[in-house]
Amino acid sequence: MTLLPRFFAEYQHRIDGELRRVVPGSRDRVQEAMAYAVHAPAKRIRPVLTMLTAELCGGSSARAMTAACSIEMIHAASLILDDLPVMDDSPLRRGKPATHVAFGEAMALLAAFGLLSGAFSAIARGYEPPLGSRIAALLSDAVGAEGLIGGQAADLLATDQQITFETLERIHRGKTGALFSVAATAGAMTADAADDSIAALQAFAKNLGLAFQIIDDLLDVEGDPAITGKPVREDAKKTTFVSFSGPEGARQLATELCHTADRALQPFGRRAERLRELSAFVAARMS
Amino acid sequence: MDAPRDPRLREVDDLRRQLRSLGYLDAGVDRFVLAPAARNRRPLAIGWLASVRIGVLAALLLGPAAAIGVSARVPGLITGARDGFVVAAYLGLLFGAACSAAAFAISLMASLLVRQPAFSRRRRGLAFAAGAAFTLACLAYLTLWWDASRFGAPGWRSLWTTIPLAFAAGVSLLLGHLVTVTTLAVVVSRNDGVEPAHGVPGSSRLVLAAAGGLTFCGALLLFSLTARSGRQIADAPRLAVVASGVRVRVIAIDGFDPRIASRLAGAGRVPAIAALLDGARAVIRFGDTRDPARAWTTIATGQPPEVHAVHGLETRRVAGVQGSFATDQRSGVGRALGDVTDLLRLTRPSVVSGSERRVKTFWEVATSAGLRTAVVNWWATWPASADAGLVVSDRATLRLEKGGTQDAEIAPPGVYESLRTVWPALRAEAAAHAARLRDGTEMGALLRRSAELDALQIAITKQVAGPNVDLVCTYLPGLDLVQYGLFGSSEAASASPASVAGRLAALDEYYVLLDALLGPAVGVSDDDLLILITSPGRVTEPGPGLLLAHGAATDARLLDDDAQPTDVMPTILQALGVPLSRELAGRPLVELFGADFARRYPVRQVSTYGVPSAPRAERRGEPLDQEMIDRLRSLGYVR
Repeated sequence: MTLLPRFFAEYQHRIDGELRRVVPGSRDRVQEAMAYAVHAPAKRIRPVLTMLTAELCGGSSARAMTAACSIEMIHAASLILDDLPVMDDSPLRRGKPATHVAFGEAMALLAAFGLLSGAFSAIARGYEPPLGSRIAALLSDAVGAEGLIGGQAADLLATDQQITFETLERIHRGKTGALFSVAATAGAMTADAADDSIAALQAFAKNLGLAFQIIDDLLDVEGDPAITGKPVREDAKKTTFVSFSGPEGARQLATELCHTADRALQPFGRRAERLRELSAFVAARMS
Repeated sequence: MDAPRDPRLREVDDLRRQLRSLGYLDAGVDRFVLAPAARNRRPLAIGWLASVRIGVLAALLLGPAAAIGVSARVPGLITGARDGFVVAAYLGLLFGAACSAAAFAISLMASLLVRQPAFSRRRRGLAFAAGAAFTLACLAYLTLWWDASRFGAPGWRSLWTTIPLAFAAGVSLLLGHLVTVTTLAVVVSRNDGVEPAHGVPGSSRLVLAAAGGLTFCGALLLFSLTARSGRQIADAPRLAVVASGVRVRVIAIDGFDPRIASRLAGAGRVPAIAALLDGARAVIRFGDTRDPARAWTTIATGQPPEVHAVHGLETRRVAGVQGSFATDQRSGVGRALGDVTDLLRLTRPSVVSGSERRVKTFWEVATSAGLRTAVVNWWATWPASADAGLVVSDRATLRLEKGGTQDAEIAPPGVYESLRTVWPALRAEAAAHAARLRDGTEMGALLRRSAELDALQIAITKQVAGPNVDLVCTYLPGLDLVQYGLFGSSEAASASPASVAGRLAALDEYYVLLDALLGPAVGVSDDDLLILITSPGRVTEPGPGLLLAHGAATDARLLDDDAQPTDVMPTILQALGVPLSRELAGRPLVELFGADFARRYPVRQVSTYGVPSAPRAERRGEPLDQEMIDRLRSLGYVR
């Protein structure tokens, strides 16, 4: 099993604490479902990315915390929806029964919407204008028809279909890349970063996000369910990167994407060491 | 034999290409240019900010390249590495601004076109067309720039040509690609951010290689179509002198009017000039002689100003650059441009120097042929180069007056030291000569000052040019100064008849004084050939000049057919036995020489004299730029 970089633990701990504050478990069934989805054991790569980019751009991770948690809440909501029987119909998530299995489909749906609205509420309350509205706009783009929703729709339409590589990229860009990109950008924005820095971080996130997804596809074929938390060959009906290039080709492309992500960090020099460790971790997941 | 390639690897290559076209696997230049698009700005803002970044890249790539071209086009502007950096920075700014403006205009046009129904679904095509147009324009400019820089070696096969053309193709493709991605970003943002399904055009390595090859071939084709035959710089052959045994003494007199000289000769007042007028003589048809640097460099090089590149006495020095460049002060536009750039402190007036000259002078050719030469006070001879024989440049008198460490005013440097020790005596000799002028003549101060200046040049020549020197050239400005001072001013135009008569008498007197200066030179030995060259000087109406030859090898005859100023150089070199370059614009006036000389020393030719080498001059002293301008202004040469 590949270990997360050492520095991750501290960030994960802080994020988990903040998420517990924002999404407390209670007797309320829907809030329980929301907390179940959010507090399940997870790597928290996206929110950590947000905090790291904020620090890299001279800001503070504390100021980026609200954006980081909002992104994780949106991610958790997308996973709830993704696992539903009408979508991917996946019974297992993060090593536990999926939310709809544990709480029923109706509660799962409501929990997903609760998390989404909670995320935007946190942004609106957490940041002064215009920063709050800019991050909210970014998040809504990442969720909308060009982001998660668009990617999931294309994914559903592609099931049992022969799709082109460009369509596959479109799916992954929406389902994974969009939120990765927002995670990097929002952190930098809380630090009032320059356009060049934001562009560099977007290039980093774009390449790393796709690498992450390709490796997910690889793990679906070759991974251990005890480690991945997902059944093997769950995506057998879908066209994946592995379908196009074979496992070896997919591994090669993922490595190149991680290297490109590292090169995008050149303007930051040694200050970006933690992001490089993150990229190394993503690359190491497949080894 | 190569093993067949694994089809899986081909698929990976294909996927890699597609990923590139979709913006992955790229952490470099595209991101730099498209950074402004990161915050979802308005299309025009994206276009403008991305165009500025394209301009920055263009400045970095094109500035140094253009500086190399300019160093060939404008000799004298870049005198060293520091000048090169400064000029590259200026040109980089210029090209950067131009490329920014062009890229912005193109992306703006595309963003307007995309609103049209016919183009709304052709965003990739539109972006590709914009980039292709930029690439072609850039390629055409860079290729023609290299062609015009005169660096091109014979034939396109030379590395010296193919490497710059490959550079031109690469830069053009890069900038064109950046315009493509900028245009795509602009039209996508215009279209509510919906990206085209096929990503950035031309991201495939195969397509890029093909485009690179095509672009390079296009550059080669354009280069070969536009290359002018015979413009290439060939190596100068070694010059073999057939020694005629003649020592040539050249005296150049500015502001000389043959009619006045003939009148005075007839009256017996100028016996030396009369003797010269009675010898071999050719009438030179001058054009505009109002600018002495231009006219006398034409005489010295045997080439017209378009070739020798000394267009005028007044040049401009770019702020931060030691070298200077010529501005056409005769045209209104040239003067206005110069005034504007002076006002903006981008340039300041300067005086033309030998660094601007593109071809060799006759004394430089003679020196390269192994003859001993000396030149005194000729225009545009500063900085004095140790490669050009003994040079007492047009700034030497000023330096000798001022003293201190010299700034390449005299070469070899030891001559300066020897002249410094005898300088008081030379001044006294010149003052004594000027004292022959009667006091009380109109504008006596002007006459004495001019006479002193001429006498000093003759005295310096006597001091530095020993009997073994094969070629001695001396330029005398005094008569032109007097003529211009007496009749060139606005005050002279409104002078009374009595005043005009007085001025004419003063001018006559100066001819007499000049004749006394020339007297010793006319009494030449059997081996000496005195060549007197005259120019009408700074007069409004172009008049004739003279080439008077006296002494060894001459034939007493008048050539009344129109000799040209460019004929002087070949005539002098022919007298010395130096072969003539086929590149020379003029012909040797062999009719001036005796039949025996002409038979024994037929005209021999070589392909070229080559180009002058960069002046090898020690420049340690304080420059006299401002003092030179002040002096020329006081003498009426510059405004």
